[in-house]
Amino acid sequence: MEALTPTRLIIRLILCMALLAVVMFVCSLIGTQKISLGSVLDGPGSVPGANTDYDIFVRVRIPRIILAALVGAALAASGVVLQAILRNPLAEPYILGISSGAALGVITCVLTGASITAGVKLGAFGAGASISVFAFLFAMATCWLVWLVGHLAGGSGITSLLLAGVVVNAFFSAVIMLLTSLIDSQQLRTIIFWLMGNIGEKDFSTLLASAIFIVAGIFGLFTICQKLNVLTFGTQEAQSLGVNTRAVTFAAFAMASFITAVAVGLSGLVGFVGLIVPHSVRLVLGPDHRQLLPASAFVGAAFVVICDTIARVIIAPAQFPVGVITAVIGGPVFLLLLARYSKKIGYQR
Amino acid sequence: MSIEVENLCFAYKAQAEILKNVSFRLAQSSFLSIAGPNGAGKTTLLNLLSGLLKPTAGTIKIDDSMLQSYSIRHLAKKIAVVRQEFVPVFEFSALQVVAMARTPYLGTFAFESKADQQAIADALEMTDTDRFADRPLNHLSGGERQRVFIARALAQQTPILLLDEPTSFLDMKHQVGIYDLLKRMQQEYGKTIVAVTHDINLTIQYADEALLLGTDSDYHIGKTKDVFSQHQIEKIFGVKTFTGKVGQESFFLPLGKFAKSRNGCASEAKQT
Repeated sequence: MEALTPTRLIIRLILCMALLAVVMFVCSLIGTQKISLGSVLDGPGSVPGANTDYDIFVRVRIPRIILAALVGAALAASGVVLQAILRNPLAEPYILGISSGAALGVITCVLTGASITAGVKLGAFGAGASISVFAFLFAMATCWLVWLVGHLAGGSGITSLLLAGVVVNAFFSAVIMLLTSLIDSQQLRTIIFWLMGNIGEKDFSTLLASAIFIVAGIFGLFTICQKLNVLTFGTQEAQSLGVNTRAVTFAAFAMASFITAVAVGLSGLVGFVGLIVPHSVRLVLGPDHRQLLPASAFVGAAFVVICDTIARVIIAPAQFPVGVITAVIGGPVFLLLLARYSKKIGYQR
Repeated sequence: MSIEVENLCFAYKAQAEILKNVSFRLAQSSFLSIAGPNGAGKTTLLNLLSGLLKPTAGTIKIDDSMLQSYSIRHLAKKIAVVRQEFVPVFEFSALQVVAMARTPYLGTFAFESKADQQAIADALEMTDTDRFADRPLNHLSGGERQRVFIARALAQQTPILLLDEPTSFLDMKHQVGIYDLLKRMQQEYGKTIVAVTHDINLTIQYADEALLLGTDSDYHIGKTKDVFSQHQIEKIFGVKTFTGKVGQESFFLPLGKFAKSRNGCASEAKQT
C-alpha cells in the first residue's frame, strides 16, 4: 500500500464523485412515470402546453435525488466519525440512538414550537431554524449520553457501548410514541412515515440550506481526519502523538451530531447507512480517515439515492420509506460484523 | 534534552501515594532503566513523564521548562512513548501506523511532506519493519507489532523516548535487537531513553542509569551497577537471587522456595 498523497486522494475522490453523478443521473430517469431524456433536454415550453417530462424531472425527481444524496452523505460521514471516536466499528448514528435523539428533538419542537413561534412571531423560517436547533441539541446530548453510559458500563468489549445505544434508542422511541399519540390523526401518517425514514419532496430553500450545512459539516470533519486516525488508537496514544483529545472528541461529536440532526430533519430515521457504507469503503480503500471520510460521503450519497429509487418504484404507484430498505440491507450486515468483531478485537480506551 | 524530576508525588484518587518525593535528573542522551515489582508505580511514572497524568505534588522539567508549559502538540515533538503493544480496532498497515508519528508536524489538511516521508522511511528501515510495511497490524506477530510501535516513536523524531516494557513479548533475538537499537539511538542520535522493564538482566547490559522503585514508595537511583546490587534487588523484590557475573555486569536469577535446584541445595545443606 502506497502512502496517501493529496494527488492520489483527489483522483480517488473524483472517481467517487463520478460514480455518484452516474448513479444520480440514472436514478433520475427511473420512476413510476416514464419520462424521456430527450423531452427533458428540450426544456420548458418546447411543446405546446406544459412539458410534463421536464416538470417531473426538475421539480420532483431532481430535488428528491439531491435530498437522498444529502442524507446519505451526512449519515455515512457521521458513521465514519462515530466509529473512530468511539473506537467501535459498529457505531452508527441510528444504532446508537443519536438519530432518534434528533427525532425526539424535532417532535418536541413541533409539539411545543407552534406556541413558541406564534408567540415570538418568527414565522416559517424561525420554526425551521428552531427545529434544527432542537434536533441538533438533542442529538448532541444523546451522543454524550451514550458515550457516558458506555463508559460507565465499562468493560472492554465493543458491546457495552452498543447496549447503551440500544437502551437509549428504546427509551427515546417510547417517548416519541408517547408524543405522537398526542398528535391528531391527520398529521400522524406523515409523522410515522417520517420516523420510518422517508424521503419526500422538499422545497428548494430547505434543500439549499441543508446542503450548505451538511457540506460544511463534512468539510469541518475532514480537517480533523488525521487526528481521528490517531484517536482510533486510544486517547493515551493520541495525546502522545500531539492530539488534544478532548477538543477533537468534542468537535467530532458536535459536527457528527450536527450533520445527523440535519439529515434526520430532512428524512427521519434512515438506519444503517453509517454502518454499511464506511465498512464497504474501508474494504476497498483502507482505514485512513483522510480518504475514508470524503469517499464514504460520496458512496453514502449514491447508496441512499439507489435505496430511495427502489423505494419509489418497487411497489409503484405506492411508495414506502427508504429507511425500510436500508434496514433490510443493514440488519444482516450489522449481525455479520458483530459476529466478526466481537471475536477478535483487542480494545483500548 | 534533559529531564528533571523534583519531589514528585502521585496518588490515584483517594488511594495511598504510589510515588512519594521522587527526585532525579537525567542529562541529555542518557539511558535510564526503571525497574521494580508490580504496582510500584513504574508505568505511573512513565505516564507522569509523558504528561498524561498530573502529579499531585512536585515538578517535572523538560529542557528546563515545566512540563505543563508545553502544549500537547509541542510536547509530542519532544517526547515519544511506546506503550505495551495491542491490536488496534481498524486494520491500519504498519506503514500507516508509523506515518501517524508525523501528526504533530502536519498542517491543517494533514498530508505528509517529503521530510515526513523520509522520517517514516528511516524509522521503518532502522527497526527492520519495512519488510512488512504493507501488512495490517493485526496480521503481525506480537514482536513485529512492538517493533512497529518503536518505529513510530522513532519517526516522531523526539529527543526523548519513553518505553513501557518494550521487550515483553519478544523472543531473545528481538529482545537484544530492540536494546541494540535503543543504544544506537542514544549514542548516535543523542536521544534520552527511559525504559520501564522487568528484565533486569537485559537492561543492565545497556542502561547507564537505573531507577529501582519499591512498593513502599522507597526508591533507589544511580549508576546501573550500584542500583542493581544483589542486596537491593532482594530487598525490593522480596525474593532470594543467585547473583553471578558476566564480564563487568551482574546478573540475577530469582530462586523460588520450591525451585528444583533450591530443594537440592536444601537437602545437601541438611546432610552436611
